[in-house]
Amino acid sequence: MLKYYISIILAFNFFINSFSQTEADSISIKNKFGLRAGVDLSKLLNSAFNDDYEGFEVSADLRILKNIYISAEIGTEKKIISNDYLNTEAKGNYLKAGGDYNMYTNWLGMDNLIYSGFRIGFSNFSQTINSYTIYDVNNQPWGQATYYNPIVSDNLNALWMEFIVGIKTQVLNNLFLGFNIQLKNLISDKTKNNIDNIYIPGFNRTYDSSSLGSGFSYSISYLVPIIKK
Amino acid sequence: MYRLILIVSIIFLTGCEKDDICPESTQTTPRLVITFYDIDNTQERKNVESLAVYAVRDNELVLIEDISGITTDSIAIPLRNDIGVSNFKFIKNYSVENDVMFGDSNHIYIDYEINDVFISRACGFIANYSITTLLNYDLMADPPITGWITGYEIINSTVTNENQSHVKILH
Repeated sequence: MLKYYISIILAFNFFINSFSQTEADSISIKNKFGLRAGVDLSKLLNSAFNDDYEGFEVSADLRILKNIYISAEIGTEKKIISNDYLNTEAKGNYLKAGGDYNMYTNWLGMDNLIYSGFRIGFSNFSQTINSYTIYDVNNQPWGQATYYNPIVSDNLNALWMEFIVGIKTQVLNNLFLGFNIQLKNLISDKTKNNIDNIYIPGFNRTYDSSSLGSGFSYSISYLVPIIKK
Repeated sequence: MYRLILIVSIIFLTGCEKDDICPESTQTTPRLVITFYDIDNTQERKNVESLAVYAVRDNELVLIEDISGITTDSIAIPLRNDIGVSNFKFIKNYSVENDVMFGDSNHIYIDYEINDVFISRACGFIANYSITTLLNYDLMADPPITGWITGYEIINSTVTNENQSHVKILH
């Protein structure tokens, strides 16, 4: 598999070299068009330092016009949320796809982005209520009752849209660091056992009072240049 | 651009965390509503003089704080949530002198099914009940002793709110 990738990269290099040779005496600086692939560092760090979280996300974008990129993220998350009355665990995979628009005018030869984007997200997940304490303000004579028999709801799914703003900065040749924040709006979600979805992988935690959600990512990505023009 | 980031950040940060605290206005687990009627005229409400109710938890008597010597014709008592059986001592003409309790005691045994209902992410679940059996004596006592409670009737066996009476007690 690795060999396969390397040969593709070599093929691209050859392709690019052959381009530049034919236009050797041109002085204009070209924009790089290519596939950028990366991982979400915040999810890696969160997984390493938080016992209640595991997550991994890869992202990719493809430049199709000077300022327009087709973008997608695919990831997996497991998250335990605990409060006075509930301990729940959500686990599942998600896919987000959409596009980004670069609002930043680069100096010649630079390839940085300040962008806004749009995504449609889809998640397939399960939710387990690990334990719960009955909410009863009048339990003074009896004390609290906590149940530890898990309630499993699987094959749940959710659909949402996202508005993104972020930056990507080239720190080394073709290597980018990026940060973005995401404002989300849940379009639909499937629930089971009449229990709300507390956390949706890819969407993040939900709110009782609204369908909005939020998220952020801190990414490192590498651009594989395909053509320059 | 920075203004845009600022605006989006504000949207994120406002109106968020209030959902994590269970608000007091939330509907809680309903109590069992009991109304007292006259044994000689079963349509007529009748006050119980100085009523106190104790929960019998593992052979220990725990006073229900808001029913400790009140004269009333209706009460609401919490049911036990970890098992589907609650035992109570209903004491009328209740008084306490030098930590000694006086009054006429009557045991109440209630058997029910618990149905947990999801409310919200912050409050979790409440319990609803379906009353199967109510007795005016202690199942453990042999022979069974009854006291001042001479009759009873389950009017609404499903306990989902406190808006109506669930049990009618005659005395």
